[in-house]
Amino acid sequence: MKTFLTLTSFSPIQKLFSLSQESGRNAAKYFINTYPKYFQKDYAQPHIPCLMPETLEAQIEEASEAALIERIRMRKVKAAVDLYDQLLQAGTSVSLDVTNQLLDLICFCGDHDPTQENVPEQRNEETAKKGRASKASGLLKATWKENNNAGRIFALLSEPNTHSYSALIRGMVKYGAYSKAFSTYTDLLNNRLKADVHTFNALIIAAPEVKEKYNEKWELIVDLLKQMAEQKVKPNLLTLNAVLKALRRCGTLGKSQAFPVISEMKALSIDPSLASYNHLLAIFYKTGAPIQGQTDILQEVMNEVSGKSFTCLDTKDMEQAYRVHELLGVGENWRLLGNDFQQSIYYARFFSLLCMMENIDVMLKWYRDLVPSVYYPSSNVMRDLLQALDTDNRLDLIPQIWKDIKQLGHANRQNLVEELLTLMAREKHNQEVQESFAECALDIKKIYDTGDRGKVLLSWTAGSLIDLISVLLAAHRRQDAWEMLKLFKTHNRVPSEELLNKFLTCVKEAGEVNQAVELVQISAGFCLPETPKLIQRVQQEFELTDLRDLKPSSAHHLCSLLTACSSPLKQH
Amino acid sequence: MATSLVRQTKLLSIVSSQLNPAACFRNIHCTAACLKNRAARIREGKGDKSVTYEQAYHPHHIGHRKGWLSQHTSNLQGEDGAAERVVEDVFIRRFMYGTFHGCLADEVVIKRRGNLLVICAVMIQKLLPSKFYFLIGYTEELLSHFYKCPVKIEMQTVEEKVVYKYL
Repeated sequence: MKTFLTLTSFSPIQKLFSLSQESGRNAAKYFINTYPKYFQKDYAQPHIPCLMPETLEAQIEEASEAALIERIRMRKVKAAVDLYDQLLQAGTSVSLDVTNQLLDLICFCGDHDPTQENVPEQRNEETAKKGRASKASGLLKATWKENNNAGRIFALLSEPNTHSYSALIRGMVKYGAYSKAFSTYTDLLNNRLKADVHTFNALIIAAPEVKEKYNEKWELIVDLLKQMAEQKVKPNLLTLNAVLKALRRCGTLGKSQAFPVISEMKALSIDPSLASYNHLLAIFYKTGAPIQGQTDILQEVMNEVSGKSFTCLDTKDMEQAYRVHELLGVGENWRLLGNDFQQSIYYARFFSLLCMMENIDVMLKWYRDLVPSVYYPSSNVMRDLLQALDTDNRLDLIPQIWKDIKQLGHANRQNLVEELLTLMAREKHNQEVQESFAECALDIKKIYDTGDRGKVLLSWTAGSLIDLISVLLAAHRRQDAWEMLKLFKTHNRVPSEELLNKFLTCVKEAGEVNQAVELVQISAGFCLPETPKLIQRVQQEFELTDLRDLKPSSAHHLCSLLTACSSPLKQH
Repeated sequence: MATSLVRQTKLLSIVSSQLNPAACFRNIHCTAACLKNRAARIREGKGDKSVTYEQAYHPHHIGHRKGWLSQHTSNLQGEDGAAERVVEDVFIRRFMYGTFHGCLADEVVIKRRGNLLVICAVMIQKLLPSKFYFLIGYTEELLSHFYKCPVKIEMQTVEEKVVYKYL
């Protein structure tokens, strides 16, 4: 029963299990850190530091700079700020360095203690799609308050230097106070100080938020870059990434500007990293939406970047698809597959491409490789797979696929099951295949009858009933087919003419006259137009010897039916 | 020197025999009664008590019809720490019994491989799987921090307790 957690699974049940295991661990950590005295005894030789309870209390008690430094190191924001205020009131001056560190801490943590967050699984689901979410700081709930500690302490500083300004501006940008960040920047310029590269990066990130139109945004960014050049601040990789990220918000302008930006950066010997390529792709493609053209850009980028990989698979080119998949295997590139949702899109596209383009053996090879270890196909992908089997005439593989469908939990999808049944019932195959089909059909029947704990998952339709019975008949399972026939009445569905004809042929082979009569009765019960033809067939095909086995009740029924039906015949 | 030693021991024996004049060769028995013929045995009753395989066979069948519930190397020649392992095992069993209360289908098997402590348990499907995973994560983390060694739980679930016979 216990399912094994695989690294890249995305099925929601697996996710639930891994998250619940993680929350169990966090509960244990809470106990360990709240009652550390029970966990102090050290058996391990050599000492294992990660298995000891975390010491969260500050050691140095008296009010001094060293104590302040310690609290900053331990990321205790409130305690650090209180201690700083204490020190100022006591009259001891705190050096500019330490104050800058304190400012850094406050601006990074947003003026509240960093809470003990659950470290989520590596593939944490983000609720918003990439590019649609407002900021990367969607996880941060705090916003920059007006008179918070950072601003206050900054104001208390007699001579703020570049570091202090940069800390303040970065904090403002991180927590959403974009216009304030720009005004602080103008303050900095008024004080004739130079900003450093971090400040500029933060301002570039903030630029798309302050302006409305695309070209204004771009102009602001260009302006900032020019100022950077004037102040002789060298841009670094983060600058490139910030510019590209801002360009994502600039629409079509972004597409035209992206490549020149990259070439300029290359001239400054800043190599684009994986994140830059990510931004680049996001500028040109929208994840999750199908785009037909623009294959050449993908190719160019891929040619540049040997050994890196991408998320989109929008082209119909099989070779490219294989290349991308190969790149995925190199090193850490699986991280670029994004969160589980996007991963599923990638694999779904990959599989549908495979189904369309390749022949069935290659398809099956990939299927065996990837399912279920890496990817849980959705029901659409299973349908594509069935169609591929159909085109390649490998319908004998259907029972195996059915087992997989059951295991993946798609057995309650009405259209998938019905399609399966139709495919099985369509043609006549050789004996063993028919046997396996019949087993499969009986299995399907079980699913229809009672779901888990009495819940009915699927409802019978006429088509599915007919298909199922034809499959059973083709495998000469007359008894099972006979029971299924009764289901027509209970579920209010009407059997088709050819089904009844097939049944009659089968019954004739077995020579069961009584069953034949019952069959005709059923057909009459449904008032089907082909009842007279059936009666004719019964009359013609069953010889006198058979008729001797006829039970008296059946004989009576037969006579009544004959009379009932011969009158409409006479009218015609 | 030797003569003085001999005289001292003679003195000692004389003194002790005078102190206990009668029946002075019996000593006091200080341990509790072991009841080794009643431990881990379920006695035959009316026939309505269901009993698992583990419970049905008595301790003298260990090694013949039963395996060991706790596997470690400290009982080998030259190895030490056997007593500590026993105490750890007792704690772990009580911990598992309490944490997975009512879910244990059979005794917990504890295996030690090097530093790793593996706890193998068979559970009844009384809780939802996500709740089982929560408890597994909790137990592994807590016991690892407690014993300063990696702890892994290998769990298997059954629908009901597997009955071997009725006593």
